[in-house]
Amino acid sequence: MSKAVEFVKINKHFPGAHVLKDISFSVEEGEVTALLGENGAGKSTILNILHGVYPEYEGDVLLHGKKVQFRNPNQAIVEGKISKVHQETLIVRDLTVGQNVTLGHEPTKGFFIDYAKMHRDVNAILTDLHCNFRSEELADKLTSGQMQMMAIARALYHKSNIISLDEPTASLSIRETEALFDVIKQLKAQGVTILYVSHRLEEIFRICDKAVIMRDGEYITTLEVAKTTRDELIHAMVGRAVSAVASRNLPCMASDEVVLKAENLTGPTGFKDVSFELHKGEILGFFGLVGAGRTETMRAIFGADMITGGKVFMKGKRIPTGSWNTSKALKAGIGLIPEDRKTQGFMKLSSNTQNISISSLEDYANAFGFLSDDKKLKNAEHFFKELEIHPNKPEYLTLNMSGGNQQKVILARWMSTKVDIIIFDEPTKGVDVGAKAEIYRLMEEMIQNGKSIIVISSELPEVMGLSDRIIVMGEGKVNAVLNRGEYGTSDQMLDYAIGG
Amino acid sequence: MKNFVNKYKRELVVLLATFGMGLIFTVMNPNFMRVSNIITILQQMVLNGVLAAGIMFAIITGGIDLSIGCTFAITGIVTASMAVKGINPWLAILAGLAVGAVLGAFNGFLVTGLKLQPFIATLGTMSLYRGIAYVITGGMPVTGVPSVYRNIFNGRMFGNVRWYILVMIIIFILIHIMLSRTRTGDYLYAVGDNEEAAKLSGVNVVKVKYVAYIVCGICSAAAGLIMLASLGSAESTAGLGYETNAIAAAAIGGTRMAGGRGTAFGTFVGALMLAVLRVGMVVINVDSFWQYVVTGIIIIVASYFEFIQQDIANFLARRRAAK
Repeated sequence: MSKAVEFVKINKHFPGAHVLKDISFSVEEGEVTALLGENGAGKSTILNILHGVYPEYEGDVLLHGKKVQFRNPNQAIVEGKISKVHQETLIVRDLTVGQNVTLGHEPTKGFFIDYAKMHRDVNAILTDLHCNFRSEELADKLTSGQMQMMAIARALYHKSNIISLDEPTASLSIRETEALFDVIKQLKAQGVTILYVSHRLEEIFRICDKAVIMRDGEYITTLEVAKTTRDELIHAMVGRAVSAVASRNLPCMASDEVVLKAENLTGPTGFKDVSFELHKGEILGFFGLVGAGRTETMRAIFGADMITGGKVFMKGKRIPTGSWNTSKALKAGIGLIPEDRKTQGFMKLSSNTQNISISSLEDYANAFGFLSDDKKLKNAEHFFKELEIHPNKPEYLTLNMSGGNQQKVILARWMSTKVDIIIFDEPTKGVDVGAKAEIYRLMEEMIQNGKSIIVISSELPEVMGLSDRIIVMGEGKVNAVLNRGEYGTSDQMLDYAIGG
Repeated sequence: MKNFVNKYKRELVVLLATFGMGLIFTVMNPNFMRVSNIITILQQMVLNGVLAAGIMFAIITGGIDLSIGCTFAITGIVTASMAVKGINPWLAILAGLAVGAVLGAFNGFLVTGLKLQPFIATLGTMSLYRGIAYVITGGMPVTGVPSVYRNIFNGRMFGNVRWYILVMIIIFILIHIMLSRTRTGDYLYAVGDNEEAAKLSGVNVVKVKYVAYIVCGICSAAAGLIMLASLGSAESTAGLGYETNAIAAAAIGGTRMAGGRGTAFGTFVGALMLAVLRVGMVVINVDSFWQYVVTGIIIIVASYFEFIQQDIANFLARRRAAK
């Protein structure tokens, strides 16, 4: 077999950081190769170099043995026959599927776009991929799984023979994930080389042939997936043995005291008649499929979205749902760690210190009531140490930190406040195994300190391993409330989620 | 000191460039560096500086306020009418500032309550407020403002310097403190940077935006009061097109048009640069039309500098790493 991609001594610098150090490895043609490593290991950076997003770097990139240097992603797609399917698929919502797939390279007839040919070509690809949507449909109507397929169709439209998938299953339902795997197998059979980035190790074992391991900007090794174990993989990624399995190691702290109670909660964002109780010291899990209304319910309780019906009680006191907002929720003692860090989690132009202090500014005032930068910094330094945030640079922009460390910065924000109910929405999405284990540990410590936690998760092992009780939601409603010990198997949980 | 340089890199570069421009003008006409001329420059920058300080607040939150010139006019008219009637001038000033606050709050309501795009909302109030100014005056100027009012701003303190220069400096100091040392300041930057993240951090976004537009309105009112004092009359056409110069001053001083960044110091320096340019052109006898050409070039260069700053930083990082 020949080499589809070869990296030779790649070095890449960002202001103040050497992010790729002498990276050399190759990817065999027609194989599915996983790119593994913790957040900040340099996976995204090397992919961005491959796809022409970062045109400036040191070292050589070879495609099929020929040296290439792309100036931009478009050139990589058109001349290099190499495409990337993004984590958050980039689409133009107001255009049709066909227009999205062919965007910038539409078939033309004279001056005009040849729509008939466009739809014919695109539909042929969609049929090939066994997609249940058509080229003529509006992209806006697609589910996230279908959008992923559309992005793959786009790669095939450009006759790409190398395709990178960056966390493709992060927002897919289980059925969509299966469909995606089928397509990957099919592409592989057609001789397409696939680079696959994911934090979900089960997926690596299911579909990948090789795994390239990176750590701290360095290439570590390439493992044959069939001949390796889960623990070996993790060990190579993290450089130490880590248990990434969600489990409870400290005693259960749940009491009978109800700190938060929802009664028949209803809102326009997609939840109806939701009732539940959160006990002091409890970790309450919310499981459901994508779109089950879990995030929407919690956002409303936190004051971010409207509540149109039902009641919410905090520590026995009814909250005024009509005039509820996030700043009142913060004062009342609820915090929320959102699902999507980049768009909802942190301020992009702000340093870590600023991002940590924003919810607890009143604590950093000096004798005259003016804010003190020193006090903010001291608080940030404290949490950098306690949460082992890496690199230990409170003055860096949070934007430039890796995913797991960004999550810790947001965690530090809420730990700086006096809130005692914290809602974690998909706390380990896009977070590497090392940071995952630490986040689980921190959650356990929080309940030891008398706080109460709600955790929304689509990962069954996570929600089953962590929770004292689990509430299963489906289509905006509560389908089941399960105590620890009644969880049953994964299949039974899924049955509840689907509404069985 | 090193901290200060780091924090205000952009502002200091603009300040240096302003000094550089001043030097060029001095070489061409030595009168430029005379104390009396420097005072003239400061006087020239007052109106634009105060307006720019206000509009910066709207811009920091990711918005804009196109109605500042109209608020400026209405305030002048209201205060002038009161002063002419012999009402205590301090009461008239207070009333003028209150009008500015109310007009600003209405902008805030359109942006937060009705969730209109700030550009469109204030484009609407720009016409609405101007219309109100015409309607209440019937298009006639309000004249004969007593000197007891005018002297408050227009009188001279030590060294023959007019009071309104001190007023402007105080406004900038207050704004600096507000932006860098209070919770509201941090919230303003957070909302402009990432509104959703700010909201999910427990920031009352609606309140913060109201504050921004109200401060903007009060600053426009303050500028209107100063204008009234120096002219002695108020006109409904006052302040036409002033918003463009105010935006220019804020932009040159490093205020990010998409929100989240901007300092009092920067906007001061931006307004100073425009004033140096305006006065300098006169001193070296260049046709005033050229002033527009040069101002335009400076805005473009200043924005481009922002753009290439990242490249320069990258380059330096590589150099350092290579060593």
